[in-house]
Amino acid sequence: MAKNPNKIKMRRVASDYVLDIIMVVVIVLVLVLTLYPFLNSLAISLNDSNDTMRGGITIYPRKFTLRNYELIFTNPKIWMAYFITIARTVIGTVGGVFITGMLAFAVSRTNLVGRKVYTMLCLIPMYFAGGLMPSYFLNLSLGLKNNFLVYILPALVNLWNMILMRSYFQSLPEALEESALIDGANYITIFFKIYMPLSTPIVATIALYFGVQHWNDWFTSNLYITEDWLKPMQSVLLQIVNEAKFAEQMSSLTGGVSVDMGNIMQGRNTNVRSITMATMIITIIPVLIVYPFLQRYFVKGIMIGSVKG
Amino acid sequence: MSLKQAQANGQAVQVRKKKGTFARMLEQWDLQILLVPGILLVLLFSYVPMYGVIMGFQNFKLGDFPGFSEWAGFKHFQTMFADKYFGLAMRNTLVISALKMFIGFPIPILFAVMLNEMRIQPIKKSVQTISYLPHFISWVVTATLMFDLLSTDGGAVNEFLMWIGIIKQPIGFFSDGKYFWGLTLLTDIWKELGWNAIIFVAAITSISQDMYEAADIDGATRVQKMWHITIKSIKPTIILMFIFQVGGILNANFDQIMMLTKQMSNAMLKEYADVIDTFIYRLGVSQGRFSFAAAAGLFKSVINFALLLSANWIAGKFGESQLF
Repeated sequence: MAKNPNKIKMRRVASDYVLDIIMVVVIVLVLVLTLYPFLNSLAISLNDSNDTMRGGITIYPRKFTLRNYELIFTNPKIWMAYFITIARTVIGTVGGVFITGMLAFAVSRTNLVGRKVYTMLCLIPMYFAGGLMPSYFLNLSLGLKNNFLVYILPALVNLWNMILMRSYFQSLPEALEESALIDGANYITIFFKIYMPLSTPIVATIALYFGVQHWNDWFTSNLYITEDWLKPMQSVLLQIVNEAKFAEQMSSLTGGVSVDMGNIMQGRNTNVRSITMATMIITIIPVLIVYPFLQRYFVKGIMIGSVKG
Repeated sequence: MSLKQAQANGQAVQVRKKKGTFARMLEQWDLQILLVPGILLVLLFSYVPMYGVIMGFQNFKLGDFPGFSEWAGFKHFQTMFADKYFGLAMRNTLVISALKMFIGFPIPILFAVMLNEMRIQPIKKSVQTISYLPHFISWVVTATLMFDLLSTDGGAVNEFLMWIGIIKQPIGFFSDGKYFWGLTLLTDIWKELGWNAIIFVAAITSISQDMYEAADIDGATRVQKMWHITIKSIKPTIILMFIFQVGGILNANFDQIMMLTKQMSNAMLKEYADVIDTFIYRLGVSQGRFSFAAAAGLFKSVINFALLLSANWIAGKFGESQLF
């Protein structure tokens, strides 16, 4: 060991400065490219729609207004879609964490009778799936078409999440279980009262995975839901985007400034782009608020997964 | 341990083994009951569809009881290999996967290494947090942002390119198929850069500081340390992640492609955008050729599984940790 390593570190050569410059450029580039689209959309959603048509909005609104948000929040369809999205996310996440967690906990116990069989049963579907068509007909025959449960039931167990939770439970000291068993607790109590409360990092990570999966899913409703009131926010946004493009073409043909929003915004004339952006912003806000708080957990969670495969 | 004790233990084991499996399960009913809902759901939603692949060898019609339709043998597979759209879908899948593997894969590694050079911790942390952001939003939202960003009518990218004088006329990124492969790669990098870098950042943090100090004493420059210590130390992680990437070659991102092509309704992109997954979706859900779609799905599952096994085998050859 050198007596004063700091002194040695201070020796800098030209290549060090070049490296610093590259580093700063890379970081600034990533920041700008990541944030600009979001800030631009936010600005457009808060800008007067006729003013937006003039173009040139960057990251701040030129003529501030909440009119676009007023328009979307006076639409009952948006409220319903928001409610459906929240309902499926909350139920799906809580249910998923517990059902998947229970399975993971049981499989993590070395004294489980039939452990090998259960583990094999769980590993095979991770690498071999029946595919879209068989699942589609299974869900139809279970009566899940136009049924809220189609969002919940097939997604209650996620085997990848199960493996992550299993690794975490295995890493906790066995003495926890042993002492509780001596005190006369059964495994159900041990799971709910001891293991779950002690597993905050992994529970938070898995809850985030389940939550994001539910919040962002559009394909399930695309396949199984034809009734409008059961559609989640992602589907509504999709509908607005697709019809907006159609509407945009219409407006450029007729040379009009504002266009009819068709099905979604019945009879309300406004700039399609402003409405699209406002809807998009309210779709992503909850996720944006939640994930930074869970960051230290999911970084840990990914490391557990990478170590144990 | 004395011989007597060992014998006693041995006997005890034998006595326990004589008890039936079912009896031993009953004994630990509290543990068994915890996995009942999970296992039942796995059997229902994962194993029943595996049985359902049988429809790929039959002529399934709506109303048929699954598995009891008229047999068709390998007819659907033959039709599939003869289908020119299947060949096209295969090409697009492989090209898009290759782009993501050879260009999309190294970029998060470089980002992680660069991030490691940032010594001011609060800045490093904030940059990381922001870089995760796009991972948490859906492809529906990402496509909405990209359509706006790349639009010919005042989209930021076209405006920028015209401002610096590279182009005179705005480029119609979504109205010409030849841009699509590039768009798939770039939007994928945009969305997953920070997230994919997490694992490499974690690997870098676990490198012992002693190595860097020893290198300092030897008078190594930062560039030398970056190459000889940082990159060399995370090489096992890089190899492992690359092997996983190989295992998923046929999984071109379905959500991404569906969204960027407006659920395949953008006919101008079809020739370059149709991948195996969208091919299956189009046949099965849109055209009602259920058995044909199931056959294509089975084909994909089998190839994916084979790829994973070979990737796993290669991992063993490299002396890396294996799945099985």
